[in-house]
Amino acid sequence: MAGDGGGEWLKVYDLDDLWEGDMAGVQAGSVKVVLVNVDGEVRAYKDRCPHQEWPLSDGDLDGEVLTCVNHMWEFNALTGAGINPADSALVPIPCQVTDGAICVAPPD
Amino acid sequence: MPGFPRTVLLLGGGIASAAAAETLRAEGFEGRILLVTDEEHPPYERPPLSKEVLTGSKTGADCYLRPAAWYGDNEVELVAETRIASLDTADNRAVTGEGREISYDALLIATGGRARRLPGLAGERVFYLRDLDDAAALREGLAGLRGGRMAVLGGGFIGCEAAAAARTLGVEATIIEMLDECLQVPLGPRLGRAVSDIHRGRGVELRMRERVTGLVRGAGGLRVETDRGTVECDLLVVAAGMIPNTEAAEDSPIPAAGGVAVDGDCRTIVGNVFAAGDVAAQFQPDAGEYRRVEHHDTAARQGAAAARGMLGLENSGPVPHWFWSDQYQHTIQSQGLFDPQAPYVLRGSLSERRFTAFQLSETGRIRAALTVDRPRDILAARKLMAAGAPVTREMVEDEDLDLRRAALAGAAV
Repeated sequence: MAGDGGGEWLKVYDLDDLWEGDMAGVQAGSVKVVLVNVDGEVRAYKDRCPHQEWPLSDGDLDGEVLTCVNHMWEFNALTGAGINPADSALVPIPCQVTDGAICVAPPD
Repeated sequence: MPGFPRTVLLLGGGIASAAAAETLRAEGFEGRILLVTDEEHPPYERPPLSKEVLTGSKTGADCYLRPAAWYGDNEVELVAETRIASLDTADNRAVTGEGREISYDALLIATGGRARRLPGLAGERVFYLRDLDDAAALREGLAGLRGGRMAVLGGGFIGCEAAAAARTLGVEATIIEMLDECLQVPLGPRLGRAVSDIHRGRGVELRMRERVTGLVRGAGGLRVETDRGTVECDLLVVAAGMIPNTEAAEDSPIPAAGGVAVDGDCRTIVGNVFAAGDVAAQFQPDAGEYRRVEHHDTAARQGAAAARGMLGLENSGPVPHWFWSDQYQHTIQSQGLFDPQAPYVLRGSLSERRFTAFQLSETGRIRAALTVDRPRDILAARKLMAAGAPVTREMVEDEDLDLRRAALAGAAV
């Protein structure tokens, strides 16, 4: 089964372990991925800040705002859109929850 | 405020002006925006100039805040390579160096600053570092210098970052500093020592408590003379601070000595004139005085605040202070107005150069926090400062404690 990005779906985490408001960095094949749970909505992004490639999973998730700890860049964790600066964006990774398993499909 | 502005004039090509233009459009302002800069570049980011541009991992164009097309798409008239010769705040009019008159309804002075130039230190192989062209020139000087030596006058942020960039390129580096430690002015001597040690550990020669007295040019290089000896080098970077470009305000009634004085909305005493960024001295209720802040985040927030002020929108008071400096793989960050003279409580280890210094008020509120390589502490400090949650010395010192959770839980009780 292939995801939107052409990669295979990989199970990377249990939904039970990613509570609402939680963020986790995981390895999916060769790609580092950050998972966020915003009020029950799970999203996955490349675990690298678009600014200087710092791991986003080192940062902070507060409500919908994901803050990179390196230079305090802020993103909307639901959409991946930059908040400050507004012209930045996270790289989304296809993500789905199946039977309590969080699966991602990183690009090949 | 003489009604809603139709024409906004932004003086300066830095982040403060750019943030003002963006905020004006984001808030629905449909009038005319002119952005005047004396440089040939559209507004760009300054922080990479002493870091990635020097090491070559970013080009000048990479630093542009917005692609050139953005200005047209957003109807921001970019007036480049243009200097403002005079300003008449009574008549709401600026005149350019070429004699073009620009009338405005609201004005932002975001003219930044210039590198402090020292007498006798100029010419070939001597570099100042303020704008993109300065950085490109120094980059060129450093590019072929592997194994050679760069001397830096000044152990402040720019000097330290330039030295770090040189070492990253395999260039030997010497920092010549009048005070005892690197970053002593913003950090104080004890925390500054940790930064000095970081540079020592990377092979930077530190010549502290030395004053440069002269410069002699030889066939192959420079000899920098100090009050205690000499430094032979291939090139010299003079990083002796900046002088705010307050000239625009000097013919106006606006107090501008040492910085253009503004309130929480970044408004001057002339109601339709605002100032933001390195040139602005904003009133800080905590400190009880006007302070100029030479950091990127403050400039961006002040530019945005000025734009909101122009449109009559609310601002939440003076912008909170946060800054960072990257040196090698180390990150220095500060939240709040860190007072290098005031006591602090340490979290982490000074000797391992991984610590955060917290300054607390009498009621246990965090006034400021400054970290070397513990950026998560700054995230916590931000939240706790915003929430006004009290912490104790014991909580700060206990590294096993999740400071944020503990303090917020304590505040909620």
